[in-house]
Amino acid sequence: MTDFSPAAWRAFADAIGSQWVMNGDNDRRAYSDHYAEDEAVHAPSGAVAPSSAEEVQAIIQIANEYNVPLWPISRGKNFGYGGPAPVMAGSVILDMSRMKAIEVDEENGTVLVEPGVGFFDLYDHLLQNNIPLWLSVPGNSWGSVAGNALDRGVGYTSYGDHAAQICGLEVVLPDGDLVRTGMGALTGSPSWNLHHYGFGPSWDGMFCQSNFGVVTKLGLWLMPEPEAVAGYDYEFDKPEDLGWAIDTIMPLRRSGVIRQAPSIGNWLRSAAVMTTRDEWTSDKGPLDESVISAIRNRFKIGWWSVQIRFYGSEEIVDASMKVLDSAFADKPILSKLPAKWTRGDPPEGSPLTGVPVSFPLANANWHGGRGGHKGYSPVLPPRGDLAMDQFRRTYDLYEKYGMDYHASFAMGERSLTNVNQILYNKDDPDMMGRVDGMFRDLVSDAKAQGYGEYRTHIDYMDLVADTFDFNDHALRRLNERLKDAVDPKGILANGKSGIRSKGARA
Amino acid sequence: MKKKFTAFTAIAAVLFIAATASAQSEADQGETGQIENAFRGVMQDRSASSFDEELYVEKCSMCHRQMGMGTVILARRMDPAKAILENRENLTAQFITITARQGIGNMPRISEAEVTDEQMERIARYLVEVSAPAQDAPQ
Repeated sequence: MTDFSPAAWRAFADAIGSQWVMNGDNDRRAYSDHYAEDEAVHAPSGAVAPSSAEEVQAIIQIANEYNVPLWPISRGKNFGYGGPAPVMAGSVILDMSRMKAIEVDEENGTVLVEPGVGFFDLYDHLLQNNIPLWLSVPGNSWGSVAGNALDRGVGYTSYGDHAAQICGLEVVLPDGDLVRTGMGALTGSPSWNLHHYGFGPSWDGMFCQSNFGVVTKLGLWLMPEPEAVAGYDYEFDKPEDLGWAIDTIMPLRRSGVIRQAPSIGNWLRSAAVMTTRDEWTSDKGPLDESVISAIRNRFKIGWWSVQIRFYGSEEIVDASMKVLDSAFADKPILSKLPAKWTRGDPPEGSPLTGVPVSFPLANANWHGGRGGHKGYSPVLPPRGDLAMDQFRRTYDLYEKYGMDYHASFAMGERSLTNVNQILYNKDDPDMMGRVDGMFRDLVSDAKAQGYGEYRTHIDYMDLVADTFDFNDHALRRLNERLKDAVDPKGILANGKSGIRSKGARA
Repeated sequence: MKKKFTAFTAIAAVLFIAATASAQSEADQGETGQIENAFRGVMQDRSASSFDEELYVEKCSMCHRQMGMGTVILARRMDPAKAILENRENLTAQFITITARQGIGNMPRISEAEVTDEQMERIARYLVEVSAPAQDAPQ
């Protein structure tokens, strides 16, 4: 499947220019997963970098002609999930980082982006043009606005459910056809990026975490700059505080008082960005309570912490703060630090106000050396007792495998997403030998509770897809029927989310 | 011409948590006039005063200016004042190009689609100029 004629490379070069066809050793390394212990497992055979949807179509035609397996990336910064690397080794990366067009509709608060537009690109564009719209950015903001939304990434403002902000796509299908979804399917519609649904079945979600087409334009809603942002940074002293904190926050979440998804994370989520393990201990085993206390004391952080923010007019955020104060009135919090930003203040500088950052990536250096992380993130109902059970079981798994507990619970409107990061040093073979077993145990543990993962790493797409087993994996059968219809040759992102074309199924 | 970022903002990248330790209820204003208050962020300077510097901001500063991944990790093992790449001394075009293409430590490899060879030359030119030892002021 991944052997294809070298003539394909010449055809690519004829179509888009030889400068943009990259298949040397350096190129293969550049598009590998730099967090991986063994990069060969998912090593691509090279990359092609088009500059337009028309060039994407040309590449797709060639891929069909020569049976070239493609792996589309927007900017390839999906660190912790495989970065730019494909599920199937030998694939050709379809790198759209050159496609950087931005069209902002300031009045309506929307933007149309090509895949190559990064969060920093869009942020700079809005700033330089004095456009009073805010982004929502993930902790790793180095990547693509479109790519992140299509993988259902999350941010921290009230626009933090990035997939939910998608409004209208332009897609090149695996046979080269060009489609616009929603109202965009009506030529010249001014509502393409304004109205979530068009007429008939809705397709925006079908291109999220899937391999049914290559998105070449994505419409996204942006938050009008609010008059004020206010909230608290809470610290909680004990592991057991997780449960009641969630039960205190969720009613405000469900009723719409809190409109962002607060993420309550443990001390290591903060610490791993600020320090390295060997500054505190040379002991390789589980961290002693005294070490954890020392780190917490130095940085004045709780066992858990959460940042809650309100966005809107000053009257509304002030009133919301009173509601929040009442909810936490007699609760045993360790500390709370108020925050307020008002229009006219200098930029607040963090993802809580849509400012892109890259420093959270420093957690890859927690163990020193060349590091990385893998994340396992199941979804569960938003109850404190369920969160406590999930915490205890997963904490035991971290201990069993000798890894440092690094986790958070993001509070959606009706669910929790428990993001477990396994931080590692990829040059420590003993540690790397434990990561795979731990990940698999995390999957089984969640499955036993009926919890599925929201997004996963290229190593584990089949493993996670297998857990969705209702009616003997009926959903996978449906996805495969669709895959066979739109991509019979299997040229596009084979294996993404466990969906394979007929020729690639076991 | 040597561009100087105040040492304060570089050190802030390492010690920014200390700012909240003193439990201010208002954001602290540092020497640069920027808000410096951990978890509320340090606003990165994304301005540029030349064509090549603009390219550097677009391609590199997200990790190599204030509060970038590169700056934060480098500050763990070198003089924090030099953790910002533009504050280093005597960078060479060869070092910059090889490092960016091959990766180093936690820095991944930068592909030729993300930064072309021609763009890499311009970025290197900017960094070499900015890291050159200070000259006497012209008469």
